[in-house]
Amino acid sequence: MSDYAVLNKKSFHLSTGTFCLVIACCATLLLLSLLVYMTLVSWPVWFSPGPWGFLTGTDWNPLAAPPQLGIGTMILSTLWTALGAVILATPIGLCCAIFLAEYAPSWLAQLLRPVLNVLTGIPSVVYGFLGAAVLVKYFEITFNMASGESLFCASLVLTVMVLPYIVSASESALRAIPLKYRQTSLALGVSKPYFTLRVLIPLARNGLLGALILAFGRASGETMAVLMLAGNTMVLPSSWFSKGEPLSALIALELGTSEVGSLHYQSLFAAGLVLLLFVLSINLFFTWFRRDRRNEVGKP
Amino acid sequence: MRKSKLFQVLLGLMVLLMLAGCGQSEPAKSEPARQESTAQSIKIGGSSTLAPVIAKCADDFTEEYKTWNKVDPKLPEEPIVIFVSTGGSGFGVKSAIDGTVDIGLVSREVKDTEKGKMPNGKIIKMGSDALTIAVNPKNPVIQVKPDLTNDEVKRIFAGEIKTWQELDAKLPARPVVLAIRDLGGGASQVFDELVMKKTPIAKEALQLPSMGALAGKVAENADAIGYVSFGLVKQNQGKISVLSVDGVTPTTESIASGQYKIARPLLLVTKEQPNERQQLFIDYLLSKKGLKVVEDMGFIPPAK
Repeated sequence: MSDYAVLNKKSFHLSTGTFCLVIACCATLLLLSLLVYMTLVSWPVWFSPGPWGFLTGTDWNPLAAPPQLGIGTMILSTLWTALGAVILATPIGLCCAIFLAEYAPSWLAQLLRPVLNVLTGIPSVVYGFLGAAVLVKYFEITFNMASGESLFCASLVLTVMVLPYIVSASESALRAIPLKYRQTSLALGVSKPYFTLRVLIPLARNGLLGALILAFGRASGETMAVLMLAGNTMVLPSSWFSKGEPLSALIALELGTSEVGSLHYQSLFAAGLVLLLFVLSINLFFTWFRRDRRNEVGKP
Repeated sequence: MRKSKLFQVLLGLMVLLMLAGCGQSEPAKSEPARQESTAQSIKIGGSSTLAPVIAKCADDFTEEYKTWNKVDPKLPEEPIVIFVSTGGSGFGVKSAIDGTVDIGLVSREVKDTEKGKMPNGKIIKMGSDALTIAVNPKNPVIQVKPDLTNDEVKRIFAGEIKTWQELDAKLPARPVVLAIRDLGGGASQVFDELVMKKTPIAKEALQLPSMGALAGKVAENADAIGYVSFGLVKQNQGKISVLSVDGVTPTTESIASGQYKIARPLLLVTKEQPNERQQLFIDYLLSKKGLKVVEDMGFIPPAK
């Protein structure tokens, strides 16, 4: 009887494992097939202007004769908006995370966390609309700008959008620091601000950096809000306050109206592939950071 | 024992995957009624200029008849379902060819390459529209220089004239804010052909995703200039002012007579011959009631 039960249990484990393996493979296959499909569709583009010309060219008009295919402007705009958002969100997000992990009483933390998570659930078109109605107008009036759309404006809205990711990832990084450090510093009579600044943050450094990298990935892939706020001009952005057209906005704006199979269509897929690979490599980098952090904390 | 269990699970998995694979065709077979009703709805999409007109007509049509048998007694008693979506003229042609929509909306001429892809299709003219050179009512250019030449318009949009002062010394030295449609918009192609004549539009121009957004930008920004559809100017009276080009002010008469040059057709395109229900709706669109909506929304109905 007992023998039977053990056997049964074992086989259950094995079959569950197999099941999960198959499903996991499916998920990986999905990503792979996406990459392969996008590469295949955009294949001709990688030959006619060449990868280097495509990535660094600054003229974009696939409908002109001869077509101009260069997404350098869009790549730069994506970097400006995403980097800007992370720079703005970092101090706010870190302070939030430190408060939640170290200072907030548990009832307050339990109240604040879901509130922050609600921010992730708000559709980005709502953010974009608010930004267009309020921020753009505000910039025009306050700074006497000819038109309020700018990379800065898009960054500002992205800041709010990536904040929850930064807070929750940094908080879990801070919470991963073992209790013994807190106990030791408490026993040595170290003040809490000193402990936070000199012990906690350096120890969680890699985890915190990982959080910022993840936020950067999120920000660079965000579409709707950016489309509505960045201005979508083809000028090479020279500062945070110039206008630009991030990659995601370019695809959203033009893919719907491009003719299937045309060079325009193919080059938009190529732009999508660039964005996908960009976000993918950022995420891989993030995973690598996380693993690194675990090793470090594990050390005595 | 272990093996058989594993086998069972794998078998279950295969069945699951097969079911998942069948997901698309399965419901259609088991629910023929439902499939029929989606096939008999009419899907229309395209030009962001024309879509509101068609949406209004579709509303009126559905409201008036409710079921198909009231339109034509030969048809069964089924509710009328018409979907209208916007997305630009490029989208209109593209999805008519793809079969994503039954009727595509196009607010520019249909290119020969596109016609080649729908040899059995129909192109029906719903009316005409013009692209007006529109500015914000607060802009003093309306008093100082209400008439531009075609060349001036071209130079403004090419970015050669960067501030209003460069256009006329009496105007303030504020930068000109250009508002244009993205490459796929019918308006951008019409404007390229009729005004720019291959001169590239300035890179500084703000690209807006729909004609409505373009009109909104001009209505909001005191320094903006854009090519706003004549219909939208009429719908936003007081919020948008129009400049005349080469001495011709865009009016219903000047556009209909062809005096105002920056004009474009409003078209319905289908890939195949429209089916009975689609034809009934097209007939309604071209009837007095439909054309009145075209007129009410500020466009010019086709000459009879």
